[in-house]
Amino acid sequence: MLNRREFLKAGAGLAFAAATLPVRAAQGGGHVVVVGGGVGGATAAKYLKLANPKLRVTVIEANRTYVRGYGSSEVVTGHVSMDDLNVSYDTLKSRYGIQFVFDTVVGFDPARKQLRTAGRQTLAYDKLIVSPGIRLLYDAIPGYSAAVAETRVPSGWIPGAQTALLAKQLKAMRQGGTFVLVAPPTPYRCPPGPYERAALVTEWMRRHNPTGKVIILDPKDSFITDATMQLGWHRLYGYNMPADYLKDLPASVQVKNSGRPSPIEWVRAKDGGEVEKIDARTLAVTTLQGVEKADVLNIIPPMQAGKLALDMGLTDASGWCPVDRRTFESSVHKDVFVIGDASIADAMPKSGFSANTQAKVTARAVADQLAGRTPGEPVWENTCYALAGSEYGLFVADVFRLKDGKIAQVSGQRYLPLDATPAQIRLAATYQQAWLKTFTEDCFA
Amino acid sequence: MGTLMKTPLLALAMLAFTLSPARAADPTGEAMAATCAGCHGTQGRLGTVEFMPLAGLPEAEFVRAMTDFRTGKRLSTLMGHVARGFSDREVRAMARYFASIK
Repeated sequence: MLNRREFLKAGAGLAFAAATLPVRAAQGGGHVVVVGGGVGGATAAKYLKLANPKLRVTVIEANRTYVRGYGSSEVVTGHVSMDDLNVSYDTLKSRYGIQFVFDTVVGFDPARKQLRTAGRQTLAYDKLIVSPGIRLLYDAIPGYSAAVAETRVPSGWIPGAQTALLAKQLKAMRQGGTFVLVAPPTPYRCPPGPYERAALVTEWMRRHNPTGKVIILDPKDSFITDATMQLGWHRLYGYNMPADYLKDLPASVQVKNSGRPSPIEWVRAKDGGEVEKIDARTLAVTTLQGVEKADVLNIIPPMQAGKLALDMGLTDASGWCPVDRRTFESSVHKDVFVIGDASIADAMPKSGFSANTQAKVTARAVADQLAGRTPGEPVWENTCYALAGSEYGLFVADVFRLKDGKIAQVSGQRYLPLDATPAQIRLAATYQQAWLKTFTEDCFA
Repeated sequence: MGTLMKTPLLALAMLAFTLSPARAADPTGEAMAATCAGCHGTQGRLGTVEFMPLAGLPEAEFVRAMTDFRTGKRLSTLMGHVARGFSDREVRAMARYFASIK
């Protein structure tokens, strides 16, 4: 891959490649190029076509099949296989007439509004939507690296070979072994995800490795869904809830810590949970508190916007992409929109559901702009179902609006109530599984 | 359920939300309906059975469901939270949109 300077230069030299320049479909309202065929990009492409079927929509995506990240921790515990994560682009092509170019972008010329691919194609756009996802900063943790992640200490936060490796390691772990999960600092993709993964591994161990245990090392003192998730751990696995969470429980909710060691532990920042370094050979993890020896080590490292966003010059000093909140048009380049995890979206969590509703708002805004209309008032939503166990569901649910140029949550309470009934808890687990299907359909079919 | 006890407070919050003079124009019914699609299907069309398909739902039925979710009269997982993000007028606009989808 080119570095950023070479990248922009490669874009600037595009004039020579004019032979492959696509016909501008001005007669149909314009050409929108979408870079990245994940949740954000796929949804944007589909909803552009729903907004105006005459728009020409081209998706540039590196892989011929999408591998979904949402629900991918279920591979670790064998509930689903890697193949179950595969999602085809065929319906987007056949039903909506979206064109796919399976290639990678290597050049970008924002002045000429052109992109160049590794396969030497040049694409001109009227509007460009970039949905670059995330990049894992393996090297941020001393002793960790991409090479270590691929062979010895998987992350599995972007689904793929590391997910399969983690599943294999869990299965092969010695009886009574320790599974250590290192949680990331904010902001990161899928806020309840690390804790759901830890819960599913704990549940798996009760059946297959009853003397084994799970330890979460965390650089944070709280997380999205924290109280409801821990209440689930308490009920299912005998987890001892910390005193500060106990005091916030409604009187009707009975929690009695056993004081016995729990098969799942959460070591927060204030308890020394922040990791200083790891030893990939011995799987020793050094925290402020001491050294934790793992049998299986799963690290979810800090993250930033996907590399493409960096290469295209769309990021700011934070490593994420600043945008106009109404349309998600880049604050750096005109007619370029950045959606999904890579964007700076204030109160919105970095989740698939957020990316999906951002894509819809942006697709509509782009279609409006190309038709000479002013984009309407935006509204976004986020809904993440998560599991404390395979029959114990919980969630975070939000509606978001634009307020004073920023995105604000307007719906109040976000989580499953702590005094939820068993029916609500069971239904949330059922809905989590149903959501995996309906959500995939809304994005990709 | 906890939400039931909080109803008077919520009713107040909703009133403030609905009457707030600083409110910008409402999103269109279609734009608001798109936020439902992740569970209830694109344009409310849904093949699977766990969630309620919304396409073609009579307006009054949609409005009643959202109102009952909001007050906690109807027990839900997360629909109570979601319903509190929309004003009465917005719920009616969404209802008109879904009723118009065949």
